Amino acid sequence: MTTRLTVTGIAKAFGATKALVGVDLSVNAGECLALIGENGAGKSTLMKVLTGAHRADGGSMTLDGAPYDPSGPLDARSRGVAIVYQELTLARHLGVAENILLGNQPSRFGIVDRKRQNAIAREALEQLGLGDLDLDRPAGSLPIAQQQLVEIARALTAKPRLLILDEPTSSLTAADVEHLFSVIRRLKTQGVSVIYISHFLEECRAVAEHYAVLRDGASVASGAMADASETDLIRHMVGRDVAEIYPRIPHDIGDTVLELRGIAGEAKPTDATLALRRGEILGLFGLVGSGRSETLRALFGLDRIARGMVLIGGQPQTHRSPRQRLLAGMGLVSEDRKSEGLLLNLPIADNLTLTCLGPFTTAGLINRGRQEASARSLMERMLVKAAGPAQAVGELSGGNQQKVAIGRLLHHGCDILLLDEPTRGIDVGAKAHIYRLIGELAAQGKSVIVVSSYIPELLGICDAIAVMCRGVLSPARPVAEWDSHTILSAAIGAEENAECRMQSAE
Amino acid sequence: MSVRTSASFTRRTVIGLGALALGLGLSACGGGDTEAKPGVAVSNAKPIVIAVIPKGTTHEFWKTVHAGVIKAERELNAAGTPVKAIWKGPLKEDDRTSQISTVQNFIAQGVQGIVLMPLDRTALVAPVELAISSNIPVVIADSALESDKPASYIATNNKEGGRIGGKHLGELLGGKGKVILLRYMEGSASTEEREAGFMEAIKTFPDITVISSDVHAGATHETALKASQNLINRFKDEVNGVFCPCEPVTTAITQALTEQGINKKVKVVGFDNTPRLVEWLKAGDIHGLVLQDPLNMGYLAVKAAVAAAQGKPVDKRNDMAPRLVTPENMDQPEFKALLNPPLAEYLGK
Amino acid sequence: MSTPAIALPNRALRLLSKLGPFIALIALLVIFRIALGLGDSPSDFWSATNLRIILVQTSIVAIAACGMTMIIVSGGIDLSVGSVIALSSVVAGLTLHHGGDPLLAIAAAIAAGMVAGALNGSLIAAFGLAPFIVTLGMMGVARGAAKLFADSSTVSFPTNWLGKLMQPIPFPGDPTIIKALVVAPGVWLAALTAVGMALLMHKSVFGRSAYAIGSNEAAARLCGVRVRTNKIAIYALAGALFGLAGLLMTSQQGQGNPTIALGMELDVIAAVVIGGASLSGGTGTVLGTIIGALIMSVLRSGTDQLGWPTAWQEILIGAIIVLAVGIDRLRNHRAG
Repeated sequence: MTTRLTVTGIAKAFGATKALVGVDLSVNAGECLALIGENGAGKSTLMKVLTGAHRADGGSMTLDGAPYDPSGPLDARSRGVAIVYQELTLARHLGVAENILLGNQPSRFGIVDRKRQNAIAREALEQLGLGDLDLDRPAGSLPIAQQQLVEIARALTAKPRLLILDEPTSSLTAADVEHLFSVIRRLKTQGVSVIYISHFLEECRAVAEHYAVLRDGASVASGAMADASETDLIRHMVGRDVAEIYPRIPHDIGDTVLELRGIAGEAKPTDATLALRRGEILGLFGLVGSGRSETLRALFGLDRIARGMVLIGGQPQTHRSPRQRLLAGMGLVSEDRKSEGLLLNLPIADNLTLTCLGPFTTAGLINRGRQEASARSLMERMLVKAAGPAQAVGELSGGNQQKVAIGRLLHHGCDILLLDEPTRGIDVGAKAHIYRLIGELAAQGKSVIVVSSYIPELLGICDAIAVMCRGVLSPARPVAEWDSHTILSAAIGAEENAECRMQSAE
Repeated sequence: MSVRTSASFTRRTVIGLGALALGLGLSACGGGDTEAKPGVAVSNAKPIVIAVIPKGTTHEFWKTVHAGVIKAERELNAAGTPVKAIWKGPLKEDDRTSQISTVQNFIAQGVQGIVLMPLDRTALVAPVELAISSNIPVVIADSALESDKPASYIATNNKEGGRIGGKHLGELLGGKGKVILLRYMEGSASTEEREAGFMEAIKTFPDITVISSDVHAGATHETALKASQNLINRFKDEVNGVFCPCEPVTTAITQALTEQGINKKVKVVGFDNTPRLVEWLKAGDIHGLVLQDPLNMGYLAVKAAVAAAQGKPVDKRNDMAPRLVTPENMDQPEFKALLNPPLAEYLGK
Repeated sequence: MSTPAIALPNRALRLLSKLGPFIALIALLVIFRIALGLGDSPSDFWSATNLRIILVQTSIVAIAACGMTMIIVSGGIDLSVGSVIALSSVVAGLTLHHGGDPLLAIAAAIAAGMVAGALNGSLIAAFGLAPFIVTLGMMGVARGAAKLFADSSTVSFPTNWLGKLMQPIPFPGDPTIIKALVVAPGVWLAALTAVGMALLMHKSVFGRSAYAIGSNEAAARLCGVRVRTNKIAIYALAGALFGLAGLLMTSQQGQGNPTIALGMELDVIAAVVIGGASLSGGTGTVLGTIIGALIMSVLRSGTDQLGWPTAWQEILIGAIIVLAVGIDRLRNHRAG
């Protein structure tokens, strides 16, 4: 079997941040390599280097034995390397066919040859079983899963020798996933190599022959998929034993403090029911697009609630603004802390105390000294690593930023904390800090809802887990009743959630 | 963010910006110096610096005022009174803000006198009174200002100009017919007076009806042309005469009439003059122009400002009578000088 | 998926927002015809002469707006239109003033606009500066340069055939070709520009790239579209059209003038927006823009002829802009 791609010692830095420090991997022709790693391990950067979107600072690559150093996406494409990015990269105003051939339109004298464009697009879509899609329909009007398939069709038109799929299933239904796998298998028989990026280890096992694990910008392990156990892979990914990452801090669970009864929003959720008790850490899992963030947003008064009831401390809530929720002792840390959570240009002290300036205010003027003193004590309690309360939040690392975001809720005196993806994009050490912090908060009698798409962390820190599937949130069950397989099945709507599938068929 | 820091930040910013604006203003005025024409007798004594601020600089009218300013400057210098006149106007004719800051900058610069042709009768009151309280005498020219503090007011009697124009148009039409008044711009005092004078005079002809008098042409040639085209097209079959209160409107109306092929047929009485208007007058496309004497206005204004700066008494008010020039009298020498002011002699172009 | 259920109102809305400006234009024409046909001295708003005048009055804004459409579709904005028009007008005026051939003046005007546009595009593309800021700067620079070149005055030149470009109605003595054209040559220039730009934007790789950049710049880059080069070309092309508009302005005024077209950027942007383009990029058509420009001219002409005070025209045009953007927002909200 011939080697399609080799990567040796690839390094890439962005200013002071070293995204890749030395990556080695190789893929054989007609085989699939699963590339595994946590968020922030450097997978996306590596993909951008492979497809010419970034230039590597060091190291070398070969493609079918020849040196490979793409100067740009077009160059990589012409060499037969195509990628489907995790985030959707469609021009939503343009038609399906135009999107598929964007940057590569067949043309004569600068005029697009629409006939040929449509023919090529049609052929690619047929390979994916989407032969009847309207080629002129604006891509933005397609359902998310079809948008994803349009992107894959775009990659196929390059007649790729190497196809890179970056988290391709994150927005697909189970049936679509199975369909995608059959496409991958067919491509492999045609000699196409595939790099498959995912943190769903089951999926990797289903399509890949080999694996490579990336951690902190370096390749730390590789081998045949069949030889690796799940625990091995996770240990490689996080770099230590799982037990020490998820500290178990004993805490008592009390009475119900928050209840959702059949909440429905504008689009999602369609039916969310949940009960949260005092001192409880409740995990909320769902695939992208299942409506878990929307549930939190509706709960916090950011999105309109169309139906259903929210009860805090047994009291039905009539007012639905974030301000009212804060007054009722509820706080939210958004999944997008950079654009929604923090004021990046402002000092830590301002960020921590923003929602509650009363204690430092005399006659409308803020006493900076007292504000900073209060911020400093919070920072010490939460182990925020920073020069001082006057430092701008934007200068901190992701983990410390997240601590500040959570710290604001503590300063406000919130008893119910809604944390949306609290560990996304932060390093393993900081993750452990956050987990410990969440445990300590529960021990103080606070109630926490953690939304996450990373199953191991939910299993590691939560008392109970509720799973969301296509807008429907079913009541939580104790963590002991779950494992990663049952969580995923529930999220995909595969097994016992027959009612869930009925909903989606409507 | 703390209220305290933001307040102090704001104050510092305002001071900084103020200083910056002042600096820019001064340097801009400094740039204006170079406009003083060569050939001026230079005396060792410190010259009396007079700032002359017109409403605009591109229109022919203001160029002629400028010539008068230079005429006065030359005469005074030749007579042993060193004078330096700085000519500085806004490029756009309706930019009150820039005219206000121009006045303020000259106050900061410490000129000895200001001649101002105000774009607005009220908006310019505050800066003018600030100048006067800083012991800088101000002479108002061309348009009125709502203040009795300026040393002198030199202007064409605009209302009388409108009356003369209205009377002439009425006589041209033999006392009957339909006429249009296309107004200039909202808030321009001199043209409003002309328009009022016209309406007054045209009322004395009972058989003449004004079929349109509500439309404003706007500040620029482009807007005036659009308004003229639209109005003339609407009334082309019935209109017998048009009165235009200023140069851009006269030009635009004549252009619009020519486009419709009804020039010469429709009587046009306009205001002010440019080479183009004079040509049209000669060709019979325009039947009368009410003329001011901008050269003399600039001349008299600078002289008054210098006199005021020297502490000499000046007339509080100087009404300049407008003149009516027609195709018949345009070749008489006194009108010839008005129609073709010797700009080249003073402006060198 | 529940696509069919959403598709119907979506399609109706899309059709409405596509046809909306056209319907509004027809409605205005009908309303003004009726209104002007009433009263003591009726006049025909649909007379050949009036329509010719309206077309002439539209052509300058229309040509500039064709360029602006491409910029706005690509997700940019150009605030320097008015100033670039003035600069081109002065450059054309100076060329003629110094005895240059009218054809040379046309080339000079277009080149001046193109240089300004290319400069805008380069700064935006090379340094990733916000188009709003760069072109705001160019607005001052081009206006200042125009005044500098013109020595803060108007530039006169001997009469030549350029003056015929913007003459709404042919004169009896005009050459046959002018009479055969029926409407002013400037109107034909605008029409040719519109057709050319519509084809370019709809059919060419360059045009489609502009849509892709405006729709999702990151995606376009990842798909290998040369975003920077395209941006420079877009601004330069638009600048060339602004230069052409400046030339027509010069021809209409019979002089080069550094103070013309003050605030015209707003008219031009308004035409594009009324025509259905979204300021966030990705949508907009040349046809829509032309209709938007016509709506504004018809409105101005009609209210002038009805003798409405200027103030009402301004209020109406302002209201129409907000309405057009409101419909756009509604459509995007539903579709998104």
